[in-house]
Amino acid sequence: MTQTTRFALAALLSSTMLTGAAMAASHVPEGVTLADDQTFTYRVLDEHSSVDPQVVEDVTGSEIVRDLFEGLMNQDEDGNLVPGVATGYEVSDDKLTYTFTLRDNAKWSNGDPVVAGDFVYAWNRAADPALASPYQWFIELMSIEGASEIIAGTAEPGTLGVTAVDDHTLEVKLTSPLPYFPQMTTHATTFPAPQKVIEEFGEDWTKPENIVSNGAYVLTEHLPNERSVRERNEMYWDNENTIIDKTIALVINDENVALTRYLAGELDRTEIPAGQYPKMSQDYPDEATSFPRLCNYYYTFNVSEGGPEAFKDVNVRKALALAVDRDIIVEKVMQGGQPPAYTFTPAAVAGFEPPALEWASMTQADRDAMAKDLLAEAGYGPDNPLEFEMVYNTSDDHEKVAVALSQMWKSKLGVQATLANMEWKVFLEERGNQNFDMARGAWCGDYNEASTFLDLLDSQSGYNDGKFSNARVDELLENAKTADDTGPLYTEVEEIIYDEMPVIPIYHYAGVYMLDTDLGNWPVNNVEQNWYSKNLYKIAE
Amino acid sequence: MLANIEARYGLDQPLWKQLWDYMSNIILHFDFGPSFKFKDRDVNDIIAQGFPISLTYGSLAFVVATLVGVGLGVWAAIRHNTFIDYFAVTLGIAAQALPNFIMGPILILTFTLWLGILPGGGWNGGQWQYLIMPVIALSTSYMGNIARLTRSSMLEVLNSNFIRTARAKGLPMRAVIWRHAMKPTLLPVVSYLGPVFVYVLTGSVFVDLYFSTGGLGQAYVGSALTRDYAVLLGVTILYGVLTVFVNLLTDLAYAWFDPKIRY
Repeated sequence: MTQTTRFALAALLSSTMLTGAAMAASHVPEGVTLADDQTFTYRVLDEHSSVDPQVVEDVTGSEIVRDLFEGLMNQDEDGNLVPGVATGYEVSDDKLTYTFTLRDNAKWSNGDPVVAGDFVYAWNRAADPALASPYQWFIELMSIEGASEIIAGTAEPGTLGVTAVDDHTLEVKLTSPLPYFPQMTTHATTFPAPQKVIEEFGEDWTKPENIVSNGAYVLTEHLPNERSVRERNEMYWDNENTIIDKTIALVINDENVALTRYLAGELDRTEIPAGQYPKMSQDYPDEATSFPRLCNYYYTFNVSEGGPEAFKDVNVRKALALAVDRDIIVEKVMQGGQPPAYTFTPAAVAGFEPPALEWASMTQADRDAMAKDLLAEAGYGPDNPLEFEMVYNTSDDHEKVAVALSQMWKSKLGVQATLANMEWKVFLEERGNQNFDMARGAWCGDYNEASTFLDLLDSQSGYNDGKFSNARVDELLENAKTADDTGPLYTEVEEIIYDEMPVIPIYHYAGVYMLDTDLGNWPVNNVEQNWYSKNLYKIAE
Repeated sequence: MLANIEARYGLDQPLWKQLWDYMSNIILHFDFGPSFKFKDRDVNDIIAQGFPISLTYGSLAFVVATLVGVGLGVWAAIRHNTFIDYFAVTLGIAAQALPNFIMGPILILTFTLWLGILPGGGWNGGQWQYLIMPVIALSTSYMGNIARLTRSSMLEVLNSNFIRTARAKGLPMRAVIWRHAMKPTLLPVVSYLGPVFVYVLTGSVFVDLYFSTGGLGQAYVGSALTRDYAVLLGVTILYGVLTVFVNLLTDLAYAWFDPKIRY
């Protein structure tokens, strides 16, 4: 056999294998040719805190942990729940007991089976004051029985309300119903931990030479502040559907250097430095990518007893909300690819169906006309101009938005809005004590479910600084805690928000990346940006 | 939980005991204690990982700056007031005017983005391609200084009586320079080289950050930003010890260069 034929045969063999993988892996569309080198390289800003699932506290570390370990449930490209180690779960009628069924082919990278006891150990470990996990509070947030007591030190560690009924059945008892509880099992803190390895190596168990993990990848190299490398875990139960062989996270502290290195072809993904999105999207339209994030930006009216009389009139509130040209704010002021907001909850939140609200589809001219009518109806006009003060916390960006808003209101409606900025702590206190007419607000969701936003408008919420109170909203949100299908409830809340307009949604936050065109299946619509290397692939150029 | 954390870092002890433990651990066991930020690494780990990297390209930059700087200076001096002299002086001043935080971006734009021949940063096990840009960025301004120092020192020496005597004996220029002029020329240069060696190691902070080499500079800045006092103290002490040690070496080197100096 000559040298060339041997090469040709090798190429043929490898391409058949790759096609095989492509056909097996459901996330590669037909007609896509995979690259020979399945290495994904991306930039991280800083050294990660840890790769110990119960210790990690930063985004960078969590990204690595999600590849190395697998929890009960995973997220798909849109943030919806898909099975992980658990094939599914059942919930009792009172929504207080969750029973997860674990797959029987899940293995640790040393070949040991992943059993329910690994989760019991890990969750107790996270709550244990001896570990002093920075994410201890997360276990308490999950409302698991005994969590608060263990954390407070009044109950023995290890007595958390989570039990292994058998190797493949995990039972969790909650203190109160939590509709988003299964979503929380995609969080790194809840991932299983290998007890034997941790006890053998102590704090050194996360070093590449010691670590044993159950995810699609294993940690093979780590030079702090420079790089960490994870490679395919042959023991992973879904290894045959995993395409990326190797993922490299490069620490690049300077974002402009990172962009240069991306443009030189060293990276498949990097963040776009502030203010450069318009230029990048013009120069590299296929690569500059904006994706929604789990945060909103709004102004809230003070509708409490002591608030301004004018804002007690819904027509005034609606007029001001309608007159805001959101396209100008996102395209000319913010320039970061943010989507304009017509609902309080970002549309990309998992399981949330935004209602078809009339103002979202109107032209700005129509909105302006409607705003003028509404304001006239409320009795404000040239001889009786509406005046109020709008406050925001000190920041260049917030100031730009506030100036733009006040100008829009002035030129379109003749409204006199004066601006006032405050330091963050003062701002929070003033807003919390209703010492304002209109105030800036923003909220980043704690979990990927609409209630994390809508709860802010519950009359009982500690963050409802505008003191909006609507009995129907409270009722819907209460029902959502135990409902099987929460979608319609949240949609109705958003409809009420539009009718009552207690807040002016301005835009939803966005993140901006440069994504190489040969990187496939990046979960752009996952608002939490919970991505898994195993779902990505590299396309042949 | 707080008690657990305090016990782990010894913060529950009285202040004098904390200081005593810290000092005695350093002196007796070379142990700088645990990092406040990274749960699974202590200060010794961090120094052991970062210092060899900083030392590698710091030393390389030192060697490059010294060799090129001295060479350039000597060349300019013996070709005094010729085109070569002007060229070397211009080059030296230009290099001096380019500190590492200017050189870094220039190098990355040129060699990574436009020419595409060198990786824009990282360490990757110390491969030579990864070393070139950090070494150049770190060495240029010192190189310029050394060249200027060497040139003026050499000019002074070449005009002195013992050189004229050597020339008068009929010694060839090469022998005069190497055997008679070099040692006295290098005396002021050596006194500058000592601090330079410390500078290239500590001054690598920017280069570490800009090229993300994984060196000690990144850990140093990171610890300051995250209030990781243990790492901050550890690295500062290391730099301090290094400064004292290198200054001692410089003083000893004087004696060799100038027989008049005796300790």
